[in-house]
Amino acid sequence: MTQVLAARSGQITPEMEAVAARENMDVELIRAGVAAGTIVIPKNKNRKSVNPCGIGQGLRIKVNALIGTSSDREDLEMEKRKLIIAQNAGCDTFMDLSTGGDIDGMRRLTLSTVNVPVGCVPVYQAAIDAIEKRGSIVAMQEDDIFAAVEKQAAAGMDFMAIHSALNFDVLKPLQWKGRVADIVSRGGAFLTGWMLHNQRENPLYEQFDRLLAILGEYDVTLSVGDAIRPGAVADSLDEAQLRGLAVAGELVERAREAGVQVMVEGPGHVPMHHVESTMLLQKRLCNNAPYFVLGTLATDVAPGYDHITAAIGGALAGAAGVDFICYVTPAEHLGLPTEEDVKEGVIAARIAAHAADIARGNKQALERDLQMAKARVAMDVDKQISLSIDPDKSRQALEEEKGDKHCALCGPDCAAQVAAKYFGIA
Amino acid sequence: MVTQLQSALQGEITPEIEQVARQEGVTPEFIRQGVAGGSIVIPRNRNRDGIVPVAIGAGLKTKVSASVGLYGSTCNIAMEVAKIKAAVQAGTNAIMDLSVSGDIDAMRKETLAATPTPVGTLPLYQALAEAAEKYGSTTKMEEEALFDVIERQAAAGVDFLALHCGTTMDVVERAKKEGRIDPLVSYGGSHLIGWMVHNQRENPLYENYDRVLEIARKYDVTVSLADGMRPGCLADSLDGAQVQELVILGEMVRRAKEAGVQVMVKGPGHVPVNQLKATVTLQKSLCKGAPYFVFGPVVTDIAAGYDHISAAVGGAISAWAGAEFLCYVTAAEHLGLPGVEEVREGVIAALIAAHASDLAKNIPGAAQWDLEISRARKELNWEKQIELAIDPERAGKLKKERSGDSSAGCAMCGKYCAMEVVSGYLGTSKHNC
Repeated sequence: MTQVLAARSGQITPEMEAVAARENMDVELIRAGVAAGTIVIPKNKNRKSVNPCGIGQGLRIKVNALIGTSSDREDLEMEKRKLIIAQNAGCDTFMDLSTGGDIDGMRRLTLSTVNVPVGCVPVYQAAIDAIEKRGSIVAMQEDDIFAAVEKQAAAGMDFMAIHSALNFDVLKPLQWKGRVADIVSRGGAFLTGWMLHNQRENPLYEQFDRLLAILGEYDVTLSVGDAIRPGAVADSLDEAQLRGLAVAGELVERAREAGVQVMVEGPGHVPMHHVESTMLLQKRLCNNAPYFVLGTLATDVAPGYDHITAAIGGALAGAAGVDFICYVTPAEHLGLPTEEDVKEGVIAARIAAHAADIARGNKQALERDLQMAKARVAMDVDKQISLSIDPDKSRQALEEEKGDKHCALCGPDCAAQVAAKYFGIA
Repeated sequence: MVTQLQSALQGEITPEIEQVARQEGVTPEFIRQGVAGGSIVIPRNRNRDGIVPVAIGAGLKTKVSASVGLYGSTCNIAMEVAKIKAAVQAGTNAIMDLSVSGDIDAMRKETLAATPTPVGTLPLYQALAEAAEKYGSTTKMEEEALFDVIERQAAAGVDFLALHCGTTMDVVERAKKEGRIDPLVSYGGSHLIGWMVHNQRENPLYENYDRVLEIARKYDVTVSLADGMRPGCLADSLDGAQVQELVILGEMVRRAKEAGVQVMVKGPGHVPVNQLKATVTLQKSLCKGAPYFVFGPVVTDIAAGYDHISAAVGGAISAWAGAEFLCYVTAAEHLGLPGVEEVREGVIAALIAAHASDLAKNIPGAAQWDLEISRARKELNWEKQIELAIDPERAGKLKKERSGDSSAGCAMCGKYCAMEVVSGYLGTSKHNC
């Protein structure tokens, strides 16, 4: 039985208990959310020793980090270091997006290294296998795709990004009038190439029930991939994106009917004044399924700093109802991230998520900031370090300052000290 | 001699107005009306020569200011000048010299020489430093000495002066009564409050505000009304003390305009995302559309080490809501003093916030920049992407380091570039997969 079926039958699972404890919430609220489809708990039946993580309405916003090999870098050791760094930096989930070298080996490494939910994009492996075995992506067979889904589900993947909300109807506006950046989703690009070359409908859309049967069997949470996400602010909320979102909404309903946990993936590059509308449309069309967004990036012009453009968009999106934020690293648009880029990306996304949690009135988030403010007033350096988003970084800087309570100017007979006494904080 | 404001009120288009209109891509008449109505300021001291004037206000590109200055024994002038140069090169629109110790006059001279755009200062700092030196305590600062410093800095050519004119005894008492978590956030505000409490005297910048205005008018210095009660933690945002001070600042704005003095208002601080828009709306309403110069705002208290990111979030949303001038926050905020690299990153983060908001506000030219870089991206034209990047140097460096070993143009997708795969089918180029 999947989490959603259990929830609908009124059953409280250990995973729901664990999520309720972490969020400091009544477990009945978690169960009701899972039953209604506003909360998902991605956890494969075959996955052992993972901290269950709830994603959705009323919960703390979660942050996802991306790792994986590529055709240019098949360095498993480096990816392992990234996994550890990102997990220590506080990311809530991972996606393994490997496209190079030993993809199966990388997946095993990811699942055994981290204790949080792990997701993947099975069509990547299907496409890479097709190039190796059949000479090109367009020669990929429909069964290859489903075989990749089944293999990765059996291996224990907790959630899967699957580009089912892509069909010829969605592609039409792109063929009619084009787009500044066309398709920037790699999985979406593979499938679009395959569809146009073979003049065949997207198998993941056409045979959606077949997909649901596999996911249901392992209780893999479906993350409806956004093949058509905007890759430039000029493409945001265009006809193609909205058609894709409408299809995603249909698929959410079908997944729920089949007892499969489901969330929806989205943007991309979104100007700030589109963020709230984007979130509202998704919540409306997808009947409040959890929304998982990349970024969102508030401008196209900042390669080298897209963790910052994404923090701006992510905070706004979170305040407007996004449940799950996929990090963006400073290497975005320029190349593959290093370990340091991965850490920066996780922290920036966590700042956005936390700022949004505060805007949404999350009690734990508000309390942490209040404690930090009090620690600053009390000049309690140890507490400031432990409460900060990156304690190691704060420790390095603050330990030198310990004990120095005076400003740079004057020492004990200082006007600021007089003011402090007046307010009773000296 | 008349000020920019007085000229604008007389219907005159000054050379400064002509120049900023060209820079902004708007008509000189639009700028003139903004200056006359007080929604735009052009901070430019009459005694300052050879600078590029910068306009700050409604309908214009959001501007960014970087703060430097001598603070304690570890600082020196050469180091601060290096920071100014880095900030200018990164694209800051203004510099504030916030020196609190050392040879403040010499530092200001260097700042004015190294900055091609407006320079601001906070005269109270120097008055406090000189009192400390002369009498051994900042509580002994003399009122007359404070106004002497204001005049000295204005005569030296400083374009805008930050002055805590609204931090009155009434406001201070409210902060105490309502139990602010962190009543001592602003360095100047804290010392000023200490001075007021110790001497049992009202704030001289409030009581003798006309004197401030007289000096400002004489040199056409733009007054930046600083807030002693800016929130230093989320819990204090929009509390009674902050709002009461803002009400007083609104009154100060009116009096400045009546005196023919250009004026803007300085604000937050630490502000939660859900209070940013309200904060800006209140300022716009109470201060009758005067430009809003906000510090950050940072959107959480816990992001020490990353407050430039936290501030980019708050700055972008605030500027979208109507703030026109962003004071950068560096990654060193809450931890120590920034180095050159942190200054540069702080400026870029603020510029990102400024541009993101310009895009959302549909400021002329903003969307075009994004369109051009995205077209270059689609064409896989790396040279153009780097050239159009907000920080071409860093973009070029990262491209080289993160894709140096790539068989394809970019290592991100390597052989499986989404843009390439799809353009084969949707575009005109021949498919290859």
